[in-house]
Amino acid sequence: MSTSTTEPTRKGFSGELVGAVLLAALGVYLLVDAGAIAIPGSSNTVGPRFFPYAVGGLTLATGALLALRVLRGDRGPADDGEDVDPDAPTDWRAVAVIVVAFVAHALLINVVGWPLAVALMFAAVATTLQGRMTPRAAVRPFLVGLTVGCVVWIVFVKALNVALPGGTVLEFLTSWF
Amino acid sequence: MGISDLLGGFADAITPVNLLFALLGVVLGTAVGVLPGIGPAMTVALLLPATYVLEPTSALIMFAGIYYGGMYGGSTTSILLNTPGESASIMTALEGNKMAKAGRGSAALATAAIGSFVAGTIATLLLALVAPALVQVAINVTTADYFALAVLAFVAVASVLGSSPLRGLASLCLGLYLGLVGTDVLTGQERFTLGIPQLSDGIDVVVVAVALFAVGESLYVASRLRKGSVQVIDHKGSWMTRNDLRRSWGPWLRGTAFGFPFGVMPAGGAEIPTFLSYATEKKLTKHPEEFGHGAIEGVAGPEAANNASAAGVLVPLLTLGIPTSATAAIILAAFQGYGIQPGPTLLTTEGPLVWALIASLFIGNAMLLVLNLPLVGLWVKLLRIPRPYLYAGILTFASLGSFAVNADPLDLVILMGLGLLGFAMRRFGWPVAPAVIGLILGPIAETNLRRALAISDGDLSVLVDSWFSRVVLLLALLALVGPVVLRAVRGRRATPEESAQQQEDREVQKAGNREGWGA
Amino acid sequence: MSVVVVGYVPNPRGRAALEHAIAEAHRRDALLVVVNSSRGDALVDEEFLRGDQLRALHDELAASGLRTEVRQPVRGRDVAEELSAVCTETGAELLVIGLKRRSAVGKLLMGSAAQRILLDVECPVLGVKSPPREG
Repeated sequence: MSTSTTEPTRKGFSGELVGAVLLAALGVYLLVDAGAIAIPGSSNTVGPRFFPYAVGGLTLATGALLALRVLRGDRGPADDGEDVDPDAPTDWRAVAVIVVAFVAHALLINVVGWPLAVALMFAAVATTLQGRMTPRAAVRPFLVGLTVGCVVWIVFVKALNVALPGGTVLEFLTSWF
Repeated sequence: MGISDLLGGFADAITPVNLLFALLGVVLGTAVGVLPGIGPAMTVALLLPATYVLEPTSALIMFAGIYYGGMYGGSTTSILLNTPGESASIMTALEGNKMAKAGRGSAALATAAIGSFVAGTIATLLLALVAPALVQVAINVTTADYFALAVLAFVAVASVLGSSPLRGLASLCLGLYLGLVGTDVLTGQERFTLGIPQLSDGIDVVVVAVALFAVGESLYVASRLRKGSVQVIDHKGSWMTRNDLRRSWGPWLRGTAFGFPFGVMPAGGAEIPTFLSYATEKKLTKHPEEFGHGAIEGVAGPEAANNASAAGVLVPLLTLGIPTSATAAIILAAFQGYGIQPGPTLLTTEGPLVWALIASLFIGNAMLLVLNLPLVGLWVKLLRIPRPYLYAGILTFASLGSFAVNADPLDLVILMGLGLLGFAMRRFGWPVAPAVIGLILGPIAETNLRRALAISDGDLSVLVDSWFSRVVLLLALLALVGPVVLRAVRGRRATPEESAQQQEDREVQKAGNREGWGA
Repeated sequence: MSVVVVGYVPNPRGRAALEHAIAEAHRRDALLVVVNSSRGDALVDEEFLRGDQLRALHDELAASGLRTEVRQPVRGRDVAEELSAVCTETGAELLVIGLKRRSAVGKLLMGSAAQRILLDVECPVLGVKSPPREG
C-alpha cells in the first residue's frame, strides 16, 4: 500500500520533519538517561546500559538522517486504505474528539463501569465521524454503543470470565447469572 | 518423528471442544478480516483478548483459525470490491476484480479459495516436516548466532516493509525503545520508566500492537474519512470449470513454491512472493492476452503464494522464536502470555501443544474452504456497516483488549498515546510493522547479546566467531546496503522513456484505485 | 413547468414508487426527477445504483417518453433530508415515495424515514406500497 500514491517531492513544510527531530531527541534522551541506569557491582562485562546506548545511538542517527532527507524534499507516501480519502484535508477536529473521548472513557471505566463508559465514547466517535454533532444525531450512536458495550460485557465477563467492571446497574441485573 | 507427532496433534485438535474453537476462530477471523481497513495483524491483535481465559491449547487452536481466516477475508473483498485491500492482496485484486467484472466472479473466488487451501495445506505440511529438522540445527545455535539472526530480522524488516529503509529504521527504533522500557531481565534494574510504577513491568505488547494498528488506523481514517461507497460486483457464473482447474493447478503449486520460502526467510511479508508469482504466471501463461482483463492464473498464483507464506512465517517463529511479520510478533506475544517461550526447545517442552497447533492449521484450512464459498454473500453484508460505527467499534474492542490485560486505566491512556504515534507514522509513511517486531525482538536480541559477551568476557569478536553468525550478519549487511545500491544503479540506468513509462503505469494504477468510488 | 420528484431504490418498493411517479408525471406533463441517494458512510451501499442497474433505470426512463433527470447525491445526509432538499430546490408539486411494510415492533424500534419525510416536505406526498406478493 505504499507505492500507489508516491509523490516523491512535495513542497512546503512537512510534519515528518517534526517527527524526525523528535526521533532524534528520543535518541538523545536514551543516550543521556542510559547513563543513569544503575549497574549492579557484580556485572563485569556488558551491563544494562549497553543496549540502551546502542539503541540510543541508532535512534539519534536515524532521526538526524531522516530530518536531513525531509529537508531535502523527500516525503514519505502517506498510508493508503480502503476508507481513507488521500485527497481529503486533515480533519483535526475528528482526531481531537476521538482522543478526548477515549481518554475520558478510560478515566470513567472504574466510575460508571465499562459498558456505559464505552457507550459514551462510541457515541462521541460515531457522531463525529458521521459529520453531524447535534444531540439528536447522537441518540442512535449512543444506543448502538450501549448495546455493543452490554453484549460484549456479558459475553466476556459472564461467559469468558474476563475481569471488567460492569457498573452498578448491569452488575445488579446480571448477578443471578 | 514428524508424522506420528502430527497424528497425535490431530488427536488433540479433533475433540469437539477444540473443533468448536477452531470454527469460532475461523469465523471470527474471516468476519474481521473482511472488514475494510482491518488487516491480518490487526485482526489477530483485536481478537487476542478472546483467548486470554482459554487454556493454551484451545487458545492457540482458535488463534490458528483467526490467523488463516484473516488472510482469507482479505482476498474475498479484494475480488468483489474495486478497492486496494491490504498489500498482500493487491496482486489478487488485479486480475480477480477484472474476472468478477467479466461475470466470472464465482470462478475467481473459487480459484482463490481452493488455491489458498491447496497452498495452505502443502505449506503446513512443509512446516510439519521442516520444523523438527530445523530444531535439530537450531539447538546448536549459540547466543551470538541468535543475536546475528535478530539483527538480520531487524534489518530485513526495516528495509523490506514500507517505502524507504530509513523510515523502516525509524519505526524499528521506536519499537526497540518501547521494548527497553521496564525492568532489565538480567540485572533487575529499572530502565526508562520515568518513575511510573506501572511501567516497571514494561509496556504490554498487546497494548502496543492494538495501539499502533487499531487506534492509529482509526485516528488516521477519521482524519481523512472517505465518503461514498464502492460497487460490489455480483459473484455470478459457474464455479470452476474443468478448463479453469487445468489452468489453476500449475499457478497454485508455483505460488506455494514462491510463498513458503519467502515466509520462512526473515524478510517479512507476503508482498514479494505474491508479486513474483504474478510476474511468473504472466510469463508462463498460454493466454497472455487475458492478463489485465481477468486471467485466472493471475488470481490462483498470488493467492496461493500469500497463504503459503503465512504458513512459512510460522517456521522461524516456532523453531527459533523469531517473528518475521507483525502478525507473527503478536502470535509470539500470545505464546508469552501463557508463559511459553518459542524457540529451539519448544518442540521438546511443549511438543503436544505445537503439534495440536499445526494440526489445527490443517483443520482450519479445510473449514475455510467449506465455509467461505457458500458464505460469500454473508461476508459482503458485513461491509454495509457504516464507517462511523465500524471505527467506533474498533476502538471499543481496542479498549476491551487493552483494559483486560491489567485492568488498569493507565494502559488505556498509554494506548491512546501510542495510537497517536501510529497516526503520525501513517501520515509520514513510516511502516508500523517494524515497531511491533522491534518491541518483541529487541529484548530477545539484547539478552542473547549480553549472554554471548558474558561468556566471552566482553570480547566482541565472539559475535563473528561462528560461520553461521558470519553468514547471517553478512546477509544483514546485504539487506541493508543492497536496496540503496540497487536504487543507485537503477536510477542511473533508467532512460527517459522508461521513466515516462513508469510514470504512466503509476497514473493508470492511481486512476484504477479511484475508479468505482462514489462522488 | 411542474416537477414530480420520486425517491428510488432498487427493490420492489422503489419500483412501485417509480411506476406511480411515471404515471403521475404523464398526467401532469411534468419533469420527473428521480432521486437515488446514499449517505456514503459505508463501504458498500446496495441501494445506490451503479453500472447495469443505473443503465436499466436510464433505459426505463427513456422508454417512458418523459423529460427526466436522475440525481444521485452522496453528501452524508439521509434519504429524508436529500428528498426534502430536492423538493424545495425544484419547487416540486408532488413527491412519490415507497413505503416499507413493517411490523409493530419494527415501528417501535426504528425511526421511520417516511414519517420524517412527511413532516419535513412542503409539497403533497404520495406513499406507495410494494405489491404484497413481492414483499
